[in-house]
Parts: sequence; C-alpha cells; structure tokens
Amino acid sequence: MKFLCIPCDSKMTLQTVAPPDRGSLSVVYACPECGYEIAMLTNSFETQMVQSLGVRIGPAVGASPDARVSDDDDAGRAATPAGRCPFPGMMPAMEGAREGAEHAASPSLVRWTSSAEARLANIPAFVRPMARTGIEQFARERGALEVDEKILDAARDFFGM
Amino acid sequence: MKSYHDIVGDGGSRVLEQVAEQRTRISDGLAGVRHLVAVGSGKGGVGKSTLTLHLAGALRARGLRIAILDADFNGPSQARMAGVRGALFVPGAHKVALPRTSTGIGVFSMGSMIPESEALEFESAAHGESHTWRATKEFSLLAEILESFEWGALDLLMFDLPPGAERTVQYADFLGPRTSFLLVTIPSEVSRGVVARSVAALAKGPNRILGYVENMSGYYCRDCNGIKPLFVSPESSGLEIPCLGTVPFDPELARHCDSGIPLAELPDTPVGRALDRVAQQLLESLESTKPGKEPPR
Repeated sequence: MKFLCIPCDSKMTLQTVAPPDRGSLSVVYACPECGYEIAMLTNSFETQMVQSLGVRIGPAVGASPDARVSDDDDAGRAATPAGRCPFPGMMPAMEGAREGAEHAASPSLVRWTSSAEARLANIPAFVRPMARTGIEQFARERGALEVDEKILDAARDFFGM
Repeated sequence: MKSYHDIVGDGGSRVLEQVAEQRTRISDGLAGVRHLVAVGSGKGGVGKSTLTLHLAGALRARGLRIAILDADFNGPSQARMAGVRGALFVPGAHKVALPRTSTGIGVFSMGSMIPESEALEFESAAHGESHTWRATKEFSLLAEILESFEWGALDLLMFDLPPGAERTVQYADFLGPRTSFLLVTIPSEVSRGVVARSVAALAKGPNRILGYVENMSGYYCRDCNGIKPLFVSPESSGLEIPCLGTVPFDPELARHCDSGIPLAELPDTPVGRALDRVAQQLLESLESTKPGKEPPR
C-alpha cells in the first residue's frame, strides 16, 4: 500500500506505527514536500492479515531520521528468529510440556553468561522459554550453576543432530 | 496524478522485501539438504505420519542423514511416535539444534512443545475470524521454523503434511519446486479418489510427484505370519503415477507408534521388509536423472 499527496503529487513516507489498540494499528504518513500528515487506521482484519505474514511493519531502519516505530512495537515483527511469539497465550502450557521439567515459575538458581543469553535471544520466541527451562535443568543435573556456551554445546551434542 | 506503478518502492515497511529476504534465508539454510520430500495424500488417516517415520527409519538404517519436519501443526503426531515429546531445543551459535530420535533422525514437531491436551492457538487481533488469516499464520510459522533450525547436511528432509488436497498444493507452492511429493493412499476407493484429486492439483505445478505408496494394504497377522485383506477394492488404484510399494498394517507397529518406542524386530517382519522396499524405491526415484517435470503448459 502506498500513499500519495495529491497537491504535491509526491509519495508520502511512513513516519510512525503505534502498537495495536483493540486490534487497530495507527500508521502515520507524511508528505516530504509539504509536511502534511495522515493516519491510516486499520480494522482488526487488516491488522491480523499483516501480523499473519510475520513481517515487521514500520519504517526501514535508517530510512528517515524522524521515522520511528513505537518502542512497544507490536504491529508485526521482523521475520527473524528473534521475532515475537505467534502464540503467547500458549506459553504456560508449553513451558510445562517437557517431561520431567521443573515448573517454569520456580525461581532459577542458574545464572546465564551474556554470551549464552545472546544465543538464547537469537532463537524463535516460541521455543525460548522451553529451551531456557530445559537447559537450566541440564546444567543443574551436571552440577553447574551457570549456563555458558560450553554447557550449551554439551546440551547440543547430547540432544541435537 | 501519479499511479501506484509510478511510485518506486512500497509504503515504507518493505513487506515484499522482507518476505523475499526470509525466502533467501530459508533457501540458504536448506542448501545442504540433498532431497526435500513432502509426504502427503489429501486424505486424512491413511498413515502419512507413520509411513514418514518408518521410511525415515529404513533410510537411516542405510546410513543416510534424515530429518522430519512435522508440518501438521494442528495435529502433530511425530513427537509422540518418534519419542521426542518434550525434546530440548538447544540454541546453537546462530540457530536452534534439531532434536534427534534415539536412532539419530532429526525431528521437529509442534507436539514436542504443545501438550496433547492443548490445541494450537495463535494470537489474533480479529477474534472469531480465523478462517481469513489462519493459513497465512501457519505458513509464516513454517517459514520461521525453516529459517531458525539447523538442517545442516542432510540426505533427505521429509515434510509430514497435514490432510487436505488443497493444503497439499499450498505446501507445494510454499516449499517450491525443489520439493518432490510422495503420496499415500489406502486401498479404498474413497481414499484413492481424494489422492487422485491431489495428483490432479499437483500436476498443474512444477513439483515432481515421485509416486504413491499404498498403506494398510492388508494386515500382518502375527499368529499365522501372513498378510490378510483389510479392504475389498479393485487391484488397480487407477492413479496415474508410479506405485513405490504397498505396506501392510501391523497392529504391533501401531502400538509401538503410540508409545514412541521403535519396534526392534521391525526389519524382520513383512511390514519392515515392505517399508525397506519402499525406501529403496524412493531412493532410486530421487536419484534418477529426471530432475523434475516439464513446466505446465
């Protein structure tokens, strides 16, 4: 979808995308010539269709100094491994899915190094909670109180292809 | 006044570019996989998942590196059958390590994450209208799985597809022409009719149809060590694609699938031998020089 400023015959540029409010997105465009602004307000079907694509809605990074996405961007996330979980409501059930896993709500005594945290942050949001719980359990079973990359590699060798 | 096509670029979010970039990441992630095979049917309940798992087992026994992606997000069964319920997903350097079975087959299944008492429920802004966006969401999830897991160097990645002739074609569109299709039927006219629809639909696209397997082609009676009939139907399937073999039903194998424990004596049974023959046919078909079919006219 593109927007045209009719008086200037100029393409309007995307300025901001606010997080959904009751299923509606507020997307602001401005004319680079005259500065006139408009807002596109989506209905819940339009919001859902865009979210279903798994893409990020918002100005391209570095597109314009004034362009921004809300810090609480929920409009649609980048199709990257670190994207938003598509089924957050299922997280409690998923966290309890591992056989023998300790309850996720239990306070963890296992620390994570920053490099191990970085690896965890790089995987899809929908596997992250289960991965955290399972790896902490794996670490504890080996007498470790810290998850570092060595522990992750050992877990990978133990469970992975 | 300018028209849509006079304006360069999109509305600012680069939606098309984002989708294209993701496709490239998926393609790069699957570059080390020699063969992509989707096991589908159109018909439900014909044993696609069981056959997928046991063909993978037969191929693994030949030393091949095999993985299964259970693409039936709404009715995942590979996690239970392969014994990877509650598998641990371990973050690698850049991607997630693929969980493996005791025999070394990589398996991704939503059943590893979601208890069987729960149905997959996506977050939605449009409550009560899931028919308008659900399929898009599922393919978006499939894309995220494909780009996020370490597929590495595999001989074969098998996709266990959900039922539905139209779904089979949607997966063909999504997975692209690199993916070949193996269709599964049972010896009933109803099943063969639905599979024929899938064949007709797939024939319009570029994907290669390797052939079909007739599952539940009789049942294996352990008392008399013989194969007895299950369905009364014409010998000929009427399907105009190669038959890669027939596999009898084995109640003992079904029991082991339910428990997720491999049937140790499977290779010594008629069912195991039938699966091995199908695996051989599948390999020969994949390795044959015919890379694909002519594009549709």
